[in-house]
Order: sequence, then C-alpha cells, then structure tokens
Amino acid sequence: MLKKVLSALLALSLVASLAGCSGGETGSTAGAAASTAASDAGSAAGGASGPSGEPIRIGYVSALSGDSALWGQAGLNGMKLAVEDVNAAGGVLGRPIEVVGYDGQGQPLDSVNALNKLIDESKVVAVVGTNFSSCNIAMAPVADSKKIPLVATAASSPSVTVDEQGKLHPYSFRIGFTDPFQGRVLGSYVYEKLGFKKAAIITDIGDNYSTGITQYLTKEFTAKGGTIVAKEEARSGDNDFRAQLSKIKSANPDVLFIPWIYKDVALITKQARELGITCQFVGADGWDSQDLPKLAGTAIDNSYYCSRPGFNTREAIEYGERYKKVYNIVPEAECLFGYDGVMWLVQVMKEKNSADPEAIRDGLENTKDFKGYLGTMSVDPATHDPTRDAAIFQIKDGAIKYIENYSVN
Amino acid sequence: MFLQQLVNGISVGGIYALIATGYALIYSLLGFSNWAHGEVAMFGAYMALTLVTRTNSPFLGALVFGILGAGLLSIFNEKVAYKRIRDHGSPTMFLMIAAMGISTTYQNGAMLAFGPKFQMFPSMFETSTIQLGSISIGILDVISLLTTIVALVVLDLLINKSKMGLGIRTVASNSYTASLMGINIDRYFALVFLLAGMLAGSAGVLLGLKYSVYPTMGNVSLKAFIASVLGGLGSVRGAIVGALIIGILETMVSGYLSSGLRDLVTFGLLIVILLVKPSGLMGVTIEDKA
Repeated sequence: MLKKVLSALLALSLVASLAGCSGGETGSTAGAAASTAASDAGSAAGGASGPSGEPIRIGYVSALSGDSALWGQAGLNGMKLAVEDVNAAGGVLGRPIEVVGYDGQGQPLDSVNALNKLIDESKVVAVVGTNFSSCNIAMAPVADSKKIPLVATAASSPSVTVDEQGKLHPYSFRIGFTDPFQGRVLGSYVYEKLGFKKAAIITDIGDNYSTGITQYLTKEFTAKGGTIVAKEEARSGDNDFRAQLSKIKSANPDVLFIPWIYKDVALITKQARELGITCQFVGADGWDSQDLPKLAGTAIDNSYYCSRPGFNTREAIEYGERYKKVYNIVPEAECLFGYDGVMWLVQVMKEKNSADPEAIRDGLENTKDFKGYLGTMSVDPATHDPTRDAAIFQIKDGAIKYIENYSVN
Repeated sequence: MFLQQLVNGISVGGIYALIATGYALIYSLLGFSNWAHGEVAMFGAYMALTLVTRTNSPFLGALVFGILGAGLLSIFNEKVAYKRIRDHGSPTMFLMIAAMGISTTYQNGAMLAFGPKFQMFPSMFETSTIQLGSISIGILDVISLLTTIVALVVLDLLINKSKMGLGIRTVASNSYTASLMGINIDRYFALVFLLAGMLAGSAGVLLGLKYSVYPTMGNVSLKAFIASVLGGLGSVRGAIVGALIIGILETMVSGYLSSGLRDLVTFGLLIVILLVKPSGLMGVTIEDKA
C-alpha cells in the first residue's frame, strides 16, 4: 500500500516537473516582465507626479535562452533602462509603460508563437525584436494581419520589411540599416568627405552582401558625380586576386572599394600593395574585426570603413557605463537597439498623442530625425528602411579608430 | 598589362606545380590519386607557422621545418594506411577511399588543433616589389619561384640521374617484377611518399606565406590534380607543364574575361583533354612512367 502511494506521488511529481519544464520559458520571461513592472512601480512612487493608470505594454521578442541569449538579454536589459527613464519622467500620456519579453529562441517558429502570445494575451501596442532576419521574415505577416507594429533591431536583410515580391510589410520596421545601405554611405562619404572622384570596385560575385553594397555604392557615387573606372569580380576563397588587381592598377583609381569579409580583405589589400597600387582602400562592416589589422599589416594602414554605430559617441559610451553598473556585465550593442526601440516608440506615441497601434504605425512610417544612442535616423515610407547615421572607422597603425558618425542625405 | 598577367600566372602555376608533381610521383608508383596530398601541404604550412610564431625563426628554417614535417606525415600515411591496404592485396580503389578518409580527418583535426581561423605569417620580407618597366614582381613571388625551381630541378635530377631515381623508375615501371629482381619495393614506396610529402610541404609553406593558413587550404590541390591530369597522370615533367598552363590560363581568364568564368574554363579544358588525349599532354606509355 505504502509502495503504491509512493509511486503515485513519484509519478505526480514527474508530471509536475515536466509541466514545469514546458512552461519554463514563459515562466522566466513572465518573471522578467514582473520585475520590470515592480521597478516601474518603485520609480513611479519615487517621482513627484508619477504616471498612473493601466500601463502601456511594449512587447519584446528575442532569444532569451540558448546560443544567442547574450544579445537577446542585452536588448531586454536596454529596454528596461529605457522604461525606467520614461516612467521617471512621467510616463507616456500620463500612463506608465511596461516591457513584456518573450523568448523566441532565435528560431522563426518560436518567434512567431512569442509574437502571437504578446499580442493576444499581453495586449501589447507594439513589439520590438528580433535581431535575426530569419525570425522577422516569419513574423512580419503575423504583425500585418494582427495590425501591431513590429520593430526589428539589427536584422539586416531587405526581406524584413519588403517581401520577396517587392510588397511592403506595412507593420514591419527596423532600427538598424540594411547591408546594401552601406553602399550609399560609402559612396557619399568617399565623394563628399574624402574628396575622391575616380573609384574602382572589386566585388565578391558569390555573395549578396558584396553585390548589394556594390550596386548601391555605384549608384550613389556616380549620382554625386564620381566615375567608376574599374569594376572587377572575384569570389571568396580565390586567394589570388592579382589578375583583377592588375586591371585595377592600370585604370589608376583614387580609391578602391573592397566590400568583402575581412579574411579576403587582408589578401586583397596585401596583393594590391605588392602590385604597386597606392590608392585609398575603403570597405564596409565586413571589415569589422580586430583580426583585420593583424592579418593585413601595413597594407591596410590608413584605410576607412563604415559600420553600425556602437559605443562610439560620448552619449553611447556613458550609457554603456551605466549599463555596466546596473547589470554588472559587459554591454553588447544590442542594448543600444533595445533602448532606442523603446524611445522611438515613446516619441511616436507622444507625437501622435495616442497609444493606438494604428497611430503608432503611421508615426513610425513618417519618422524624421529620431535621435537615439545609435545616432539620428529617418524612415523611408516606401521601404520602411531607415536612413541613418553610420559610424566611420579608420585603421591606423594596427588599431581601429572611430572617426565620426556620418549620415547620407 | 599582358606581361604582368603572365608573371601573375607563372607565380600561381609554380605553386600548383609543386603539388601536382607530388600527385604524379605517387600515381606513377601506385596508380591512384592521393587525395590526402593537399592536407599534407596544409600540415607543412601549420608546422612552419607554429615554428615562426614560437621561435621567430627565419624563412629558411621555417621552410625546412615545414618540408620535413610534411614529408614525415606523408610517410606516416603510407605506413599506417596505404601499406596495409596493399599488403591485403585490396583493389586500388581502396587506396583512394582511404586517402579521402585521411583528408577529412586531417582537415577536421586541424580545425580542432589550430581553430578555423585564418592566420598569416608575420611578415618576413618587406612587401616591396621589383619594378621592371610596367611590371611589378613581389619579393615573395621571386622567392617562391626560386624555391619552386630549385625543388623541381632537384627532383628531376634525383629521378632521372641518380641510382635512387633508377630504383624509383624501376618500381614505377612494374613493382611486381622489381620485387622479383630483389628490389625492396617498400623502401621505394616510403621514399616516394617522403619526396611527394616534402614537395607538398614546400608548397604549403609558400602558399601560407603568400596567402594565408587555414584548415581547408589543402583544397587548392584540386587544381593541382587537374594540372597533373592535363600533363599526363604519372608524368612529373607533364605535371609541371600542366600546372603552368593552368596557372596562366586562370589568370588570363580572370584578367581578360571574367573571374566567374575562370573555373568553367579550367574544368572545360580538363574535359577537352580527357576527350581528345586521355593520357594527357605528355602522355606516358606504360613502359616509361616516372
């Protein structure tokens, strides 16, 4: 008899623990949401004229567990800091705001489930996330059908806001720029700021990243009045680029654009210098690696590249210090996106004097010069892609040096 | 412009030649394509890189170290894998499959041991160039071309002029008869693997110096293999000629047509050769292989 009771108890506890497991993800994020609410209440009580009433809820989807949780958690932490600041300053429309985070695990299916839960159960007015294009491409149609604005963070594929058929997802937006946008930045910066008029490009024809940047770059640079004197193609892994570089040398350009990933950049720049090409080298965020100056050595000295803004400006560096103090971990760039995401939505709600998802969507679409830690951004209503500041870096004596934030207009 | 591209082509082809001759040597003796050959080159590059980063050794030391390391690895492959298969009297196909297994094992082993990162040799020479009219030739290219020429001339003399070479040619001609004549054929097999490995090792070090060192760098041996087929499988001189043709052709196609067409032309040439002259440019008869 005792045995039977024991085994029944054991079975029960097993079932309970299983249920605990399956509910674990939502449990922990619900916990995170609860703690945000608690800190809101605390700061609200501290303020002289605190916001009151039903909180306005903003959702967040990202990988809060698993391999990429480092970024997902950083985004959520950044949003919590923004919520703290907004509520301390009186909230939005007299009401406090609140962040509800759900775990999308960096997977499209889980991200869609998380988005549905946020909209149906938590009644959020807008959702921030994710940093993965694959997840946002799956989430975009859901946001459209439920009419809730979805603001991607660092997701960079053009398909996040405009589908394969070229149709705009009316409820999808993004904070970071697309890969090809860097082509515009480079074309404009090199012509306007560096003053070069004769350019050559070497493109990796096996990679959309490189061909996309090349296309935008050519358009921007020639529209400004520059000429492309040589356009060469190669493939990553070729290792020997001297055939193409010899042609480029004979065209005698002022500047050579190399929109490649850093390991190839090291080879291209070294071989170019060996062939006696002395012109300026310029690249995109594929260069963004501490390994590049080590691999390329003196060949890459004085070269410029653009990348996503990070902890470069004074404001962003101060924010990073604050983040480090509060969470006691090294800040990841994603926490800038989380903070800016909340602040962007708050600015739109204040402008529209409404927390209605439809009004927020209209406001997001017509954003002009929103200023955040990531710099200034405006939204192109036709594609929902931001035109925003990019950070310009220069490689100098083996170190990467931040030069300035540059914006295309 | 044309001369510059020619120089580029010869410098690419020279390295292909070092690997291609190794293929040819082993094929002439065992009648199979040693797919692990590229990984032997990769190993040589890592040996040299490790020596240079640990001890700041000069170029010559690194080259010798890489060559010896690759040569020993090549003998190791022969003793552990190929010899056993031969002793069992298994078909040649088994040797080729074993070689593919070795190739995959070494690639992944290197990834575990050294990481998947691209690494470069610390600069041993100034990246200066020699200017000849409108042509610029990198110091590194001159050094690698000199190394290649020395290695290939020594190899040619060794095979065609020395007693050891006579032995190799005898075994290549017919290993069974050679063994009946009292020649210790296992010794010659080991010797050929050592030679092929050393050539691959020098190619690996030069490739690493000119480009970069990474676990899958041995894949370049596919081009070298095509070169050895083009020149005539089993013919060492043919392999050298084939390698130079492939190197120059690739550079010219990338330079004057489009690099998208480069591999298409190379592999197209292979198909044409196989159709028109299956034994290769310097097709060797069965009586005279090496």
